[in-house]
Amino acid sequence: MTRVVVIGAGVAGLVASIRLADAGARVALLNKGTGGLQLSQGTIDILGYAPERVERPLEALAGFAQAHPGHPYASLDAECVGTAAGYLKDLLGPALLVGDPAVNLQLPTAVGAIRPTALVSPSMTAGACVDGADFVIVGLRQLKDFYPELVAQNLARTEPPGGGRITARSVMLDFPARDGEIDSSGLTYARALDDPAYRRRFALAVKGVVGDAGTVGLPAVLGLDDHGAWADIAELIGAEVFEIPLPPPSVPGMRLNRALTERAKSAGVRVVPGSKVTGFHASGGSVRSVSLATAGGAREFVAEAFLLATGGFESGALHADSYHKVHESVFDLPLRIPEGTLVHGDYWGDPQPLFTIGVDTDENLLVRHPGGEPVHNNLYAAGGILAGATRWQEKSGEGIAVASAVRAADAILSVAATATSQGAAS
Amino acid sequence: MNANESLEFAQTQVARASLDHCVKCTICETHCPVSAVTPKFTGPKFVGPQAERFRHGESVDHSLDYCSSCGACTLACPQGVKIAELNSQARAVMKADDMPLRDRLITQTTLMGMAMTPVAPVANAALRIKPVRTVVEKVLGIHRDAPMPHANTQTITGWLKKRKKPATHATRGTLIFFHGCAGGYFEVETSKKSIEVLEHLGYEVLVPKQGCCGLAEQSNGLFDGATDKVLKLCDELRTSGRDLTIISSSGSCTGMLKHEAHEIMGVDDVRLADVGTRIRDIMEFLLELYDADELPTDFKPIELTAVYHAPCQLKSQGMGQPAMEVLKLIPGVEAIESGATCCGIAGTYGLKKEKYEIAQAVGKPLFDKVKEVNPEIAYCDTETCRWQIRKGSGAAVEHPIFLVHQAYGLS
Repeated sequence: MTRVVVIGAGVAGLVASIRLADAGARVALLNKGTGGLQLSQGTIDILGYAPERVERPLEALAGFAQAHPGHPYASLDAECVGTAAGYLKDLLGPALLVGDPAVNLQLPTAVGAIRPTALVSPSMTAGACVDGADFVIVGLRQLKDFYPELVAQNLARTEPPGGGRITARSVMLDFPARDGEIDSSGLTYARALDDPAYRRRFALAVKGVVGDAGTVGLPAVLGLDDHGAWADIAELIGAEVFEIPLPPPSVPGMRLNRALTERAKSAGVRVVPGSKVTGFHASGGSVRSVSLATAGGAREFVAEAFLLATGGFESGALHADSYHKVHESVFDLPLRIPEGTLVHGDYWGDPQPLFTIGVDTDENLLVRHPGGEPVHNNLYAAGGILAGATRWQEKSGEGIAVASAVRAADAILSVAATATSQGAAS
Repeated sequence: MNANESLEFAQTQVARASLDHCVKCTICETHCPVSAVTPKFTGPKFVGPQAERFRHGESVDHSLDYCSSCGACTLACPQGVKIAELNSQARAVMKADDMPLRDRLITQTTLMGMAMTPVAPVANAALRIKPVRTVVEKVLGIHRDAPMPHANTQTITGWLKKRKKPATHATRGTLIFFHGCAGGYFEVETSKKSIEVLEHLGYEVLVPKQGCCGLAEQSNGLFDGATDKVLKLCDELRTSGRDLTIISSSGSCTGMLKHEAHEIMGVDDVRLADVGTRIRDIMEFLLELYDADELPTDFKPIELTAVYHAPCQLKSQGMGQPAMEVLKLIPGVEAIESGATCCGIAGTYGLKKEKYEIAQAVGKPLFDKVKEVNPEIAYCDTETCRWQIRKGSGAAVEHPIFLVHQAYGLS
């Protein structure tokens, strides 16, 4: 049974770990803290802007890759991305993720902008911004991360991507999440709404203020563990309901993170949270082990393959010093760094070259010297650490992560299978 | 380092620097078991990296006292902020001038064991008498329904003196065993079974005379006493051999030695560093053997499905949940991970009358899960957590080493 160490528990690390463990690998998933998936909006972006707004991401992928030759999508093509997105949908099931990777939905954000994304929580689909949509946006007085007037007024003055007009109005509801608390987080509401009795009172209060017109937009707090809570609320209100994601703590992101983490554990993945990988041993062209700095000292994790899924600058996987010299923090890998200025002063203008920095890989996600030979013959990379993308601007983060995770996992499994059959033959 | 230096460290030092790494992502908030059940605690981010910026001596946010020091925030933080450590330090500073007598008393775990063991039946009976507990609550502030240890008539030292020495010769070398005060006086069976498993594997096990690690005092902000205790314990453990691996079946005390005494109280002493790097939780040790292909897996099947709960202070050691991996090796055993961050007791937190209800609410999902999965038995690596889960669920709760012991045919 091949042993694999996956470093990083974002969506890439989780998906790869599950795929590997399901295929029989012995997987240790090491992470220095909770992964970024829980901070996400609970949606899976594939390609949102190229740079103009994208409506059919898989169709747009080939042209986009041609225009960006060093982009991860140049190798992870539409077929690979579509298959990987389908795999993730199957892992999470229709209670958590619906949609078609080939088609973007256009959904309202917490400031009333319209955001393209591909796979979404079923609790969000009724918020699709199309001509003729009629929304009533409900805020909660005790929830300070959501301003319904801002959302409604911005939506009402914005032409939806397909043309036409959206009607939106707002109401504010005074409904505490728990007694004595005047400033509750979205998570506190979500936990309260897991309780059917509270949920019923909440839904009836919403019904009381929205009247009987329109589709009801609520902050994305409609239950944490009970994935059917939003549908129950819709039924009690007697209207279509949709969730609008909030800044963290993002409840939809938590739902996905929890579900994938549980799924990984039940697949047999050994999850080791809270410690940092601080070193490694390599010999004969291969990484042999990584050192995990647990309390009380370093512990070695030996494996046949290693997958680096540590993210980018935001997680500390990449680090820029005061001279703008950029380092990869676990293996000190060679990086693909664009020529010229890394950060320009026009912060609202063109993408910053800095964010395209990352590791270079071959088509199997094996890390290589930029454009050259593999750095180690068993070190793979997936997700935000890959060079060439400006994920937050393109809205491509999860698509790249999931597709690269699936392909890297399959490459690791295929090498292990070859080794096994050679071992059996000799 | 003397007592005053510990407190000064808490006022000024190292962990505070890590607050600048906070990006306000709220991940710690989502992991906090206390703020999940009560609005009295504003949560690790507010109390920690945010209030810490305004702290000049004492914290500006007194809800800090409701932090249970479970460490879930630090464990979850992806930016390396030492949130729980910051909060423990700030609490010690806040409480320094008016430490409740109760907090001085309940932290004297060794004393409690020494006093109760000779009169075990009486002590056990007294703790079951309602009026007695009511008086204790009124006078001392220990909640009348809080879980209490069950005194044993025999200590681990007593057992070691009387038992027949293992017949077989040690083939794998020598280990030092650290049982902790609870493992010495109350949870003696865990210590016995741990020693027997290690001997079965072929180790000679040395058990030096040993005191308390000071964890209870540390978590109550009594850094002076805790520092003295932990260093004395290090001396005691070091008397049995300077290069030997130290094995512990006391999940939380191991954490005190591995990192908490150093990171929270700033104890910077070679003796602590030495013991802290040599010590292994017993399940961690077994898993290390397994990873090195050195653990015999000739386990007899045990048909059992039960909840396993990894204590917060075991998880905070950043090694995952070794017991889950070891239990997977025993045929027939299906250990269901509790999924709970903390059982609520957090050492002495759940004993206190003003925190008892919170501790019970924190533990409730875990108690419910035990009742649902197997109301007879559950497993957990730390003593006080077992008392809390026993009381809350009604199930017998044992250390996972019990299953290993049984699967090796030793019981």
